[in-house]
Amino acid sequence: MELGPIFRALMHNPTRFWLITVEVALTLAIVVNCVAIIQDRRELLTRPSGLDEPNLVVVTTRPFTDEFADDSFIDTVRDEDLRQLRALPGVRAVAAIDYPPLAGGGNITDLAAPGDEGDSHPAPYFVVGLGALETLGVELVAGRDHIEADLRPGDDEPENLILTQALADRLYPDGDALGNTVVDTDTHEVFGNIVGIIREMHNAWPRSSIAGLAMLRPGPAYDQREIRYMVRTEPGAIDAVFNQLEPTVLAVNTDRIVTVSSLADYKRKYFDDEAVLVKVLTVLAALLIGVTALGIIGLTSFSVTQRTREIGTRRALGATRSSVLGYFVIEIWVITGIGLALGALLTYALNYALAHLAGAPSISWPLIASGIALLWVIGLVSALAPAFRATLVPPVVTTRTV
Amino acid sequence: MLAYMIRIALLSLRRNPVLSTLLIAAIALGVAVSTAFVTVFYICSGNPIPSKSDRLFYVEMDSWDPNRPYSRRRPEMPPEQITYRDMQGIMASDIPTYQSGMFVASLTVHPPEAEQKPYRERVRMCFADFFPMFEVPFTYGGGWGRDSDRGPDPVVVIDAATNDRLFGGGDSVGKTIRIEDRPFTVTGVLAPWRPSPRFYDTHSGASGVPEGIFMPFEFVRVFEVETAGNLLIWTDLDDSAGFDELAASEAIWIQMWVQLDTAEQLQAYSDFLEAYVMEQKKLGRFGRPLNNRLLNVMQWLDDQEVVPEEATGMLVISLLFLLVCAVNLIGILLGKFLARAPEVGVRRALGASRTSVFLQHIVECEVVGIIGGAIGLGLSALCLGQINRLLDNSGQFGLDLVMVAAGIGLSLVAGLVAGLYPAWRICRLAPAIHLKLQ
Repeated sequence: MELGPIFRALMHNPTRFWLITVEVALTLAIVVNCVAIIQDRRELLTRPSGLDEPNLVVVTTRPFTDEFADDSFIDTVRDEDLRQLRALPGVRAVAAIDYPPLAGGGNITDLAAPGDEGDSHPAPYFVVGLGALETLGVELVAGRDHIEADLRPGDDEPENLILTQALADRLYPDGDALGNTVVDTDTHEVFGNIVGIIREMHNAWPRSSIAGLAMLRPGPAYDQREIRYMVRTEPGAIDAVFNQLEPTVLAVNTDRIVTVSSLADYKRKYFDDEAVLVKVLTVLAALLIGVTALGIIGLTSFSVTQRTREIGTRRALGATRSSVLGYFVIEIWVITGIGLALGALLTYALNYALAHLAGAPSISWPLIASGIALLWVIGLVSALAPAFRATLVPPVVTTRTV
Repeated sequence: MLAYMIRIALLSLRRNPVLSTLLIAAIALGVAVSTAFVTVFYICSGNPIPSKSDRLFYVEMDSWDPNRPYSRRRPEMPPEQITYRDMQGIMASDIPTYQSGMFVASLTVHPPEAEQKPYRERVRMCFADFFPMFEVPFTYGGGWGRDSDRGPDPVVVIDAATNDRLFGGGDSVGKTIRIEDRPFTVTGVLAPWRPSPRFYDTHSGASGVPEGIFMPFEFVRVFEVETAGNLLIWTDLDDSAGFDELAASEAIWIQMWVQLDTAEQLQAYSDFLEAYVMEQKKLGRFGRPLNNRLLNVMQWLDDQEVVPEEATGMLVISLLFLLVCAVNLIGILLGKFLARAPEVGVRRALGASRTSVFLQHIVECEVVGIIGGAIGLGLSALCLGQINRLLDNSGQFGLDLVMVAAGIGLSLVAGLVAGLYPAWRICRLAPAIHLKLQ
């Protein structure tokens, strides 16, 4: 099969050529950009947080009676809550924590290594009671967990802190963070000692570029009388445990508003926008590919209908069915090929625009290549049915009309 | 003539139902997607209070750390909220028509029915001027008077959802709610009110809904409540500090709005702010260069970059999607029209001009456009409903008249864009050759 005649025939009636080219080019540009955004957001949604996400439940208690104005009363209730929660079957560990991770709300302070105060780093932190590491499921790589004595440091005694590796490396790029101190860049006083380093833990803002910076401070872990517990269940026991949590803490003291929510739910809510965007873009990309496939089918059938006599003539002159099929297949292959080449350029142009307007991620070569391969195959498959119809044209049509 | 053309167009559409369905589906799909995301963008970037957006100003003053700017990314920017002491200082001014500092708190509400459990509600702590300043609509009653700010008197305004939840709806003015440890009297029940973006507090999410309860600001002292929004501080404040220490500190957590109706008022107020800051500098505060900003609503929303990147991206992608649908239509229409060449040949031979053939086909395309557009609008309302449901945003996105008009406009443009070339091709055909083939 020679490309020459195909090409000349195309140029003889260029409308179809241009329509498919433009459609395929636009489709490639849109679909590849959609997929790039989908991949980018999915990566955000699925990157590991270092926490035992599927087995964590957050119990928030908000007292509404005056007894709780007294800190020692809160302490008593909290200790009893912890005891009761830990005693529940299916519960692996429980710890008090001031804010849930991955939920978009929490505290940050600015820290620096002593003597290096010009170079401050944001340190999102959680105030936690004992047993936090076991509860959160984070892995201690150096140093130690908090101990009872850490909860009540003497006056002017610095706190004992546990940092994520990422935060420790920022403060001490040489890797000698453990045992050293950190300084509060607002007050220029020593903020605390680094006694432990954990491999990985996301803070309250898993979408942000500083998601991996986190710090655990030992303390009473309540803020404005709100006491929160992180409950880690045995694998698979979360559903069984979930409904027992509220009655358990209410049995300790009933004068409280209790909300129970899995950590996965907090995370889902935080990543609502991303999740919706991924869904919407997936549907759009699929619809678009469908529309384009239909367009190619339509245009090819139209062209077959228009060229019925021409096909008949070729058949009468001795062309085989397979060579007629081959003609149409190669033709569509050439057209989509040119469209996709233009589309690759258009993809970059659109990506540039979207990156500026909407902070879209940049596109990698393999992604474009797979987009091209996909649309090429779809173009060929879409053209097959109409092209096959062309092979059914009998040579005799040439004799019917002049 | 137009009626005749439309009749012909409808007849032609009926002749080949499969093809017509395909045509209409293509437009409907394109219009559904593009109208939905034009609407999302329109609502995210819209003017939430068009009647007075140029007379409402957000107040900012640079009370931040003398040693570093508030924002590293935009060092010229003053802090986005103000301190409690500065709010008190500038609210002494009588220049603004209305003014209110405000923040969001989270408080415990005890329903009147004993079997209903207490719950936490977001409460906007604000001054009496909040309601007239933002033209907040009421179903029953109204806001409280300025006198109640001073007491503060135990009065609240509740929204319709809270009214339903606590009192089962109806006129609840004068009824009592227990919030935290004391009773409050309801002075007003809001009508549905959903400024979008929620301009008055962008820090707690510009896409959010207004709070369920509104309460005189000074109850902040009574309840010693901390903000449930954003609190930033550059000086040292002990975690166990009480409200008085917080109030006297440099912590910023209050949003401040004023209404300035005339240019003179605006000038006088910015002079007043400057004088206030200069006075504070003498007291050793405001160590940074003078940097006050008064931004009106649209300037403020622009500054806060409230339009989500997703909305802009989806706008571009959805319009391109419509373009692909239109390109697709060109192909189908071309096939449809050219298949009709013999008929057009007869019409031309009988004296129809090229123009009338051309117009006839354009009308046919626009009929397709309008039918497809109507279906598309319905679909896009469904799309928006789905997006609302997924985002759980209490129906933020919906079609209004402007967007219905935009949807119809988009479908007409798509019909025209798709129809021009095929209609031109068909009207250029020489009649004779098709007559011969009959």
